[in-house]
Amino acid sequence: MIELDNVSKVYNEGRANEVFALRDITLQIRADQTTVLKGPSGSGKTTLLTLIGCLSRPTVGRIHLEGKMVSGLPEKFMTEIRREKFGFVFQRFNLVRGLTVLENVMLPAYPLGLKYSTLRDNAERLLGDVEIADKAGMKVENLSGGEAQRVAIARALINNPDYVIADEPTANLDTRLVGEFLKIVEKLRTEGKSVIITSHDPRIWQADVVDRVIGMEDGRVIEDGIAAT
Amino acid sequence: MIFHPPILALVLASLISALTVLWAAWFALRVLRHWQPSSGHALQINMEKRTYLVSTALAFVLLLELASLLLFVSNADQMSVMFVGAMCAVGTLNVNAYGIPALLLKLAVFFVALVWLVINQIDNKAPDYPFTKLKYAILLLLAPLVVVAAGTQLTYFLNLETDTITSCCSLAFIPEGGGVAAELSSMPPKPALILLFGGLAAMVLLGLLAMRFRVAQALYGLASAVFFVISITAIVSVISSYIYEQPHHHCPFDVIKPQFDYIGYWMYLPLFTATGIGMAAGILGLRRTPDSMADSFARLMKKRIAISLGLYLLFGLVALVAILKSNLILIG
Repeated sequence: MIELDNVSKVYNEGRANEVFALRDITLQIRADQTTVLKGPSGSGKTTLLTLIGCLSRPTVGRIHLEGKMVSGLPEKFMTEIRREKFGFVFQRFNLVRGLTVLENVMLPAYPLGLKYSTLRDNAERLLGDVEIADKAGMKVENLSGGEAQRVAIARALINNPDYVIADEPTANLDTRLVGEFLKIVEKLRTEGKSVIITSHDPRIWQADVVDRVIGMEDGRVIEDGIAAT
Repeated sequence: MIFHPPILALVLASLISALTVLWAAWFALRVLRHWQPSSGHALQINMEKRTYLVSTALAFVLLLELASLLLFVSNADQMSVMFVGAMCAVGTLNVNAYGIPALLLKLAVFFVALVWLVINQIDNKAPDYPFTKLKYAILLLLAPLVVVAAGTQLTYFLNLETDTITSCCSLAFIPEGGGVAAELSSMPPKPALILLFGGLAAMVLLGLLAMRFRVAQALYGLASAVFFVISITAIVSVISSYIYEQPHHHCPFDVIKPQFDYIGYWMYLPLFTATGIGMAAGILGLRRTPDSMADSFARLMKKRIAISLGLYLLFGLVALVAILKSNLILIG
């Protein structure tokens, strides 16, 4: 469970270009659910996602993860939480050019100090799960958008996170690839993982696999549709 | 003022340190007044973000202060050739009225800085800043010390005149002279050695107890301070005589000279560092174990006490070797 307690986020605080990205958000995000944050550009979805994923800190308020306060942790502890608890799929996937698909997937697990062979086996299994094992040796710059997305998902899962966070993962994908993405989300949900997605794509927030849709506007939650489950 | 590279380095280092601790002291006041880990208030979050920057900058300048004590002493020794009557650092420090106070202040800064660094290191190992208030409270003690030490050191350097006739250590550290130096020099060899090695044995025993029992940690800290005084007394009254092989030469500064194989550094560095770490362990021993460090605190303290004990033993070993190697017979 992730709990946000009166969280606000202000960029450039006290300066002329001050921006209130989030205002007084109080939310609870259950584990083993798929949650979508929807809203127009500038509504605060991505900022909220970065706070939930411990990628940044709130200006006001506290965030608790599984009962422990995480938003005020010193940076090295934040890094540990990010590495152990979260997997990230970025909008532009952020794959490292020049490395192969397999190397990209293995990359976040290197700091854990696993044996190389174990690491490689895990990465190959994940590539199989997202049906891109045949491209393991290919440089990532040669992948299509859909393939790059699947590699990004495999990379997000390499440390077996409890929470998978995806920022506009289908922004540049056609309907067929969106369907494939939703199949992967369904699989993650059945494995008990919590998936948190930002999207302004109705194909995502209207999908059956989604348990909860949180609507945002101007840094505030304006709609919260909790599924009956 | 003499424009000597070590002097310029010392002045620059103390200026950087003084400015940094003043900046940090202002932050420390805010922490002591407003720090509330459970609060999600913007001020608390802002302080949590800044404490890492402030403590990192402080750690840097305080390490600089530790090194600066060494440079101050070695520079005073090297500059003794410039002053008539000076034969070692004592002569240089006695060129004007500010030399000895500057040294004593730098010694005080060394110990408080070392205590701060140890507490900061432990605090950084916990996720919830358990000793943040304590370390910033200590900083409020340290900040004026650093500033006054910097000012006294600068005044000392500004008033260094090469045409001054100064006094040599053989006049300062004699039992017949006045003051603390004479008191230190006048202790007979046998009781001084019994106190030193008996004290060292007691420190080892207390250290081993402190590694097992929390209550002994505070005692270990207190004993560290007492043993430091005993050790300095022993160095001045008897060990220095063994090193120089002259029963009436008690200078604690000549021992850092190359003709004595820099043995002074081998004694002082372990002794000073062990004392600082021991005192920090003592202060932390008075505090409740933080919940967030329930599994690690005892281990971390044990390690620091072990380091302190190891350094005391090194000091004792160096002193013992100096005595055994000497041709001087003081007892028997």
